[in-house]
Amino acid sequence: MPEVRIIAKNFMDMVASMPAMKLDKLYENGFICEAILRSVPPLAKKYVIQMLHIDVPVAAKLLEEWVLPAGVSKHRVAIDRLVQLRVFLEAVDRKNEKTYKVNPTFQRSLQKLLVQGGTLPRESMPSNITVRLPTLENLEAYALEQWECFLLQLISPSQVEKPLNISSSLMKVFQRRILSHRDKEAPKLTESGFQFLLMDTNAQLWYIIREYISNSEDRGVDAADLISFMLELSFHVIGEAYSVDTLTSFQRTIINDLADLGLVKIQQGRKGSWFIPTKLATNLSMSLADSSSRKQGFVVVETNFRVYAYSTSKLHCEILRLFSRVEYQLPNLIVGAITKESLYSAYENGITAEQIVTFLQQNAHPRVAERVPSVPENVTEQIRLWEADLNRVEMTDTYYYDEFPSRDVFEGACDCAREWNGLLWEDSKKMHMVVKTEVHPYVRDYLRRQK
Amino acid sequence: MVNATKGVFISCDIPMAQYIINMNASLPASDKFIIHILDNTHMFVQPHVEQMIRSRIAKFREDNTYVKPN
Repeated sequence: MPEVRIIAKNFMDMVASMPAMKLDKLYENGFICEAILRSVPPLAKKYVIQMLHIDVPVAAKLLEEWVLPAGVSKHRVAIDRLVQLRVFLEAVDRKNEKTYKVNPTFQRSLQKLLVQGGTLPRESMPSNITVRLPTLENLEAYALEQWECFLLQLISPSQVEKPLNISSSLMKVFQRRILSHRDKEAPKLTESGFQFLLMDTNAQLWYIIREYISNSEDRGVDAADLISFMLELSFHVIGEAYSVDTLTSFQRTIINDLADLGLVKIQQGRKGSWFIPTKLATNLSMSLADSSSRKQGFVVVETNFRVYAYSTSKLHCEILRLFSRVEYQLPNLIVGAITKESLYSAYENGITAEQIVTFLQQNAHPRVAERVPSVPENVTEQIRLWEADLNRVEMTDTYYYDEFPSRDVFEGACDCAREWNGLLWEDSKKMHMVVKTEVHPYVRDYLRRQK
Repeated sequence: MVNATKGVFISCDIPMAQYIINMNASLPASDKFIIHILDNTHMFVQPHVEQMIRSRIAKFREDNTYVKPN
């Protein structure tokens, strides 16, 4: 069995966590097999290609001979990944030695795809029907704009001019770890929520898609069908139009949701409607490490605590409002100031000084990003000091022990509390001590045994 | 017989400790909350006063700040 426990970090980890029967069904689709092949480490790719036409089990020792000693750890990672994804099936042969065999379904599908080539379940529509398709630049701008509109509705619903069509129950699924809801109060961004906003677009997309898929069973949708369709989608060509009319009603629902997220664009024509995949959709089959692109920075912080954000984005304004005092919001410039009061408001919501400093540094405008430091040191230090000021007084629930009968009993009790990491204070002259409430039962039991 | 008293252990810097001691002194006898002053930076107080102390400190902090009107 795999030595690495599966924690869903990206799409393929969700695939790996599916039960075996569903995985085998998934692998009947050649494009899904290709997506899987794309996502695995380079060494694993080599093993799959090398064993693609070998029908019999191969001894684990034989596989180990294919790598140099220095590559053993990479070898281990690659094999574990293939076993997790059930591309390799593990078994024991008659000599009681471990063997690996390529999943027959996966093997057959990938062989067929490579030998015969494959056509997508749907082809792009002829251009005489889909006149005036958007250009690639317009499509990318649409995707990012739509995604940003979704994020804005996610974290600050009252700011959205035209709300998306995503159902409120689905939006609550996305929000459940990002916003905290208290009675009779507006929802506030949590520490996790701010961390979510700090991620790059691809990582944010993974999170949302993962929640969407995890929640699908509650909505009566098979997660395997959903993953299958999304992986198929990632093989469609960006900017090409595909007919909506040929989709099943289930797939149509997904397409509408994905349109709200910016993964596809839906257009209506006289003879029907079609959807156009954007770059976000084709990113679905990439592994997270491959996406090295990062948004361009837009924030300038000055030594007098003034913040200038060269951005047209309402979302950026809302993010800055979380920890700074926004004074002017011009069409392409946001002017604000980092103040003690605005930071205290952020700290009360659970946002930490370190997160704020990281945000400012990672989103530094190109003109200041090259400087060292990109955010003035007096600003970063003050942000941290103001947070420390909130934590000047530490309070711990405790028990105060006194009136020990002898030195030995006192020393023993102190040692006992120390062993449980609960001794906060002691005065050996007076034989008094303070222990944490959690440790009190152990000290009490110890003292009873001394009688 | 060993005696164990339930309460809250406070750890803070010296000025803040003085502030808390002064807060305790300004209350009537029935409301005083400090059980033991352990040293310059530590004290042991009644279990129920944690929230009261925190809100008094927060109010003290707010009294010394000014927010520019919009």
